[in-house]
Amino acid sequence: MTFREFVALTQRELLKWVRAPIGIVSSLMLPFFYLLLFGQSLNLGKLVPASESGAVYLGAPTYFSYFSVGMVGFIMLFTGLFAGANVIFARRFGTLKKETAAPIPREVIFTSRVSAGVVRGVLFGAVVLVIALAFARIPGLSGLRLAGHAGVVGAVEIVIAMACITALFSSIFIALGFLTEQIESYFALVNLVNLPVLFSSNALFPTTLFPAWLKTVAAWNPVSLGVDVMRENAFGSAAYYPYPPAEYLGILLLVTAVVVALMAMVTRWSLRPR
Amino acid sequence: MTETIEAQGLTKQFGETVRAVDAVSFQVHPGEVFGFLGPNGAGKTTTVGMLTTGLRPTEGSATVDGIDVVAHPSEVRRHIGVIFQESTADDDLTGRENLKLAAALYGVPVGDTGKRVQGLLELLRLGDAAERRVKTYSGGMRRRLEIAASLVHAPPVLFLDEPTLGLDPQARAGIAEMIRSLRQQGGHTFFLTTHYLDEADSLCDRIAIIDHGKIRAIGTPSELKEKVGGDVVTIVPTRDDVDSSAVFSKVPGVLGVNRINGSYRLKALRGEEIVPGAVQAALQAGVGLATVSVKRPSLDEVFLEFTGREYREEEGPSATDWAVRVQRFRGGGR
Repeated sequence: MTFREFVALTQRELLKWVRAPIGIVSSLMLPFFYLLLFGQSLNLGKLVPASESGAVYLGAPTYFSYFSVGMVGFIMLFTGLFAGANVIFARRFGTLKKETAAPIPREVIFTSRVSAGVVRGVLFGAVVLVIALAFARIPGLSGLRLAGHAGVVGAVEIVIAMACITALFSSIFIALGFLTEQIESYFALVNLVNLPVLFSSNALFPTTLFPAWLKTVAAWNPVSLGVDVMRENAFGSAAYYPYPPAEYLGILLLVTAVVVALMAMVTRWSLRPR
Repeated sequence: MTETIEAQGLTKQFGETVRAVDAVSFQVHPGEVFGFLGPNGAGKTTTVGMLTTGLRPTEGSATVDGIDVVAHPSEVRRHIGVIFQESTADDDLTGRENLKLAAALYGVPVGDTGKRVQGLLELLRLGDAAERRVKTYSGGMRRRLEIAASLVHAPPVLFLDEPTLGLDPQARAGIAEMIRSLRQQGGHTFFLTTHYLDEADSLCDRIAIIDHGKIRAIGTPSELKEKVGGDVVTIVPTRDDVDSSAVFSKVPGVLGVNRINGSYRLKALRGEEIVPGAVQAALQAGVGLATVSVKRPSLDEVFLEFTGREYREEEGPSATDWAVRVQRFRGGGR
């Protein structure tokens, strides 16, 4: 009956999330201002000649279109970060004690948090896409313009990619949350993961502009893998990618499975009786 | 008769030097309320931690409901309900949602959950607050919710770690009442820790006095008091300018007389049995009596007797505090 406990705990996480609308709004502030200000002000389009923009943005019609899909990867990373912070709060407020004292496998305590993170991440990702698409209809703003005909398969691939990125980073940050007790040390460690992953990914800037070494790192960055799946589908830009989206997704799924399993072990270890 | 809890030389050492619990052995009989009484930092919570499988004993062994706590922690958890010192309920969930979650975590059959939860809400007088979020609950209501959550799977053994800590007197009395009525219903064995002497005295069938990680005495409250040397009969005379101690010390059964502020404190194994003799002796000697009262020795005196020091409810850092300090000192991350 492990499934029931898993569902109950996931549901609890999501209920807490829904009941703290301030938290949801503040989580959406970040992507919103990135889209509204960062995305609008950093108009790489002016710097890249139109003839080369296809090659630079890998098929995306504009920089904003390229960037806003990357923002989805970015928000997944941040959703994972808060999934980990929730562990610290659960410990602080005593609710974690109830879980650890219960006769449930330690993995359930971990996986329920990951799955709640995935639900939050996918919803946030969808909201980011909707905002970016809406911008295209507002005069004076750059917006996301889709160019592909990905169809249902593409849409499913995009959702799976979103789920993978969130699962992967939620699991890392959740394990970190179990390992650290102080919120201060947690955020110090988080930045060691968060910032390098973000800046060595293709989320914000085209990797075509990266130096060679960073390009290699970016290619294997899980955020990049997920964003590649999304971009290739959103812009129908198979011509600019060496592999079809399904192959990126396959690698991403594999990496995610390995990392989640590893982090589950770390969590289990951190919850062992002492 | 198999014991519900059996601890043999149970020891927990934090770091190199801090022995929070030092080779304690005791048995808890089925159906009784067993109390661990001691000041903060005595090792009560650490003992509960080991019995409820959250902490691994450094040495020794223990069984709960016949199951070994080290070998089968998960099985033990199924048989116990734990009420921790701190609140474990989720503030953002309602009382009912919290109980439903507990029911799911403890494998209460889905079909029974609704009825069981409703029953507990009523039993613990939370029915009216069931749909309110826990963040709006008072301290006493939170405690009652904790008790309800720990009962949801009808565990044979219930651990209550300082169940009334930080509550106002009225809420404390309410919790004590709750424990008494649960006990009357039967089916549960209680292990509770407290640093309130009166609580241990009034709630527990048997008490272990623990201090500095060691059990100093075990027995029923009256046994322990008897070991101290019996009751105190206080006689207040009408005139306090004459010392009549000699009159009372000759009364059969009186073990000692103390004159404090003009009144006499007579020590005796059974206080009420010496009262007639004392009154008669006073009348014969012409000592006028204002009042006579019999008092059983309180656990304060018991504590003093067995630990060699006055009982203070607030004392030093707790073992968990120590553990954290030691770990920090040793550079551990946790």
